[in-house]
Amino acid sequence: MSKPIIEIQGLDFYFKEFKALDQVNLTVPTGSIYGFLGPNGAGKTTTIRILLDLFHSKNQQIKIFGKNLLSHRGEVLGSIGALIENPSIYKHLSGRQNLEVIRKMVGVPKSRIDEVLKIVRLVDNADKKAKNYSLGMCQRLGLAAALLTDPELLILDEPTNGLDPSGIIEMRELIINLNKEHGKTIFLSSHILSEIEKLATDVAIIDQGKILYEGKLEGLQEKGKGYQLTVELDQVDEAAKIVRGLNFTVSETNSRTLVIPIEAKTDIPKINKAIVDQDIDVYQLKSSDEDLESIFLNITKKLDQ
Amino acid sequence: MNIVLELKRGISAELYKYRRTFVLWLLVLAPAFVPIINFIILFKKGDQIIKEGQNAWEVLLGNTIQPGNFLFPFFVMVIALFVNSVEHNSNTWKLIYTQPISRLATFISKMKVYVLMVLFSLMLFAFFSLMVGYLLKVTSPELGFDQAFDKSLIFQACFKIFLASLGYASLQFALSQKSKNLMLSMGIGIAGVISVMILMNGWEYADYHPYGYHIFALRDLGEDFNIWSNMTTVYRSLIVALVVFGLSGWDMVRKRIV
Repeated sequence: MSKPIIEIQGLDFYFKEFKALDQVNLTVPTGSIYGFLGPNGAGKTTTIRILLDLFHSKNQQIKIFGKNLLSHRGEVLGSIGALIENPSIYKHLSGRQNLEVIRKMVGVPKSRIDEVLKIVRLVDNADKKAKNYSLGMCQRLGLAAALLTDPELLILDEPTNGLDPSGIIEMRELIINLNKEHGKTIFLSSHILSEIEKLATDVAIIDQGKILYEGKLEGLQEKGKGYQLTVELDQVDEAAKIVRGLNFTVSETNSRTLVIPIEAKTDIPKINKAIVDQDIDVYQLKSSDEDLESIFLNITKKLDQ
Repeated sequence: MNIVLELKRGISAELYKYRRTFVLWLLVLAPAFVPIINFIILFKKGDQIIKEGQNAWEVLLGNTIQPGNFLFPFFVMVIALFVNSVEHNSNTWKLIYTQPISRLATFISKMKVYVLMVLFSLMLFAFFSLMVGYLLKVTSPELGFDQAFDKSLIFQACFKIFLASLGYASLQFALSQKSKNLMLSMGIGIAGVISVMILMNGWEYADYHPYGYHIFALRDLGEDFNIWSNMTTVYRSLIVALVVFGLSGWDMVRKRIV
């Protein structure tokens, strides 16, 4: 296994009384596209802000490039490119001038601006004022700024958030290209699993400040080996009670259907019989392989129950 | 990386980002405002304003410093707001504070550029006022602008105003940096100016009011008009600036940047 580029161990973080991160451990392998998944408010952005030293963590449990973040702050930040949530762009300046502001701060040669503009495909619009940019262009400009120092590690917080489908595809291609062609390790957060699924080699799932899964994407798929049974009926609440009585979990209910993760198809007649025995009419039984979306929902919902 | 290099980079980035902004025009146009009015008044009514036996330059200096002293705090408020709102509005605090420059250096870069802007405008103000005198010497020779006068006094007076303004300038900077809400820093600034105007007419401790240091700094200069004779409020201003800039920087170094 390649050596980790980011190592976080037992990280806690509080906002006043509220515990935002609870014993977070993450190990990001060098060269990976690492998807950091979780619903809104799970602690993704907080973790990323700590990684970039925007929030100070009290005890130093973070190593990036094998170096302690707080004692090597300048050095570490110099090798990280970051794009955090909504774009940080001076609207009154052109794209190129925006990059020039950052270039002056990091001290790389001027020619680097044209290189990064080419990477993010903004050459044609580089001299337009940033206030006329679409959100997709703003995100790409942000990425260009992150690339100025030619960092080994890119930390991208919800890079596709708010983009239209073609913007999402473009961003995705860009990320894969940066990983494959330029050899960058990419740490990427998102609340949309299908996005991560198309990109990531490794994933971590966080909810309510706790890491629920960390490992290879395939591992997550294996974890969800099984089926998902959807039962259509009238008396949903009563049926749910019966199903729980049989030691199954109900992952979703709405006015006419129950969704039940099951391990084998032999569970289907068992459940059906139990419900029908209680004089509840069943209109439809539908089983399907569990997709990542439902694995994700299952993992993050289990806590609520 | 050492702090000198970090500051050099921080300041050059900071200066660059004001390209094509209103603030650059303001830095040049605002100091021209009072001198232009002075020129018009003295050109039209100079013979009534400058009395027999008065030195025309002294009258000009008086007419320059007094309105300047009143207007200057408002100018400082606007500049303080501007250098900070450029980050608030474009969501760029997190951008500049994730660059490989120490937080302290990034803070000092902005602070230094702000202080230099204030100084630059004041020196320009002195220069424009001087030009008014020279221009009147040509257009209206009867007003007496050919009399002897130490022209450096205008620059000295403006430099003293600068030093005595750093106190409230630091407060305005800290407020504008801390809060996105421009009503807060503007409100406190305006309240500061107005309260000192009222208090200076009698309250014995008015001398301690930071929004009045620049006014008090040019009072009681004595017969020989020695600008540097009375330094009390200048020292007070510098102490306030040191404390407030210090606290503001300390806050920026440790706070959570959203």
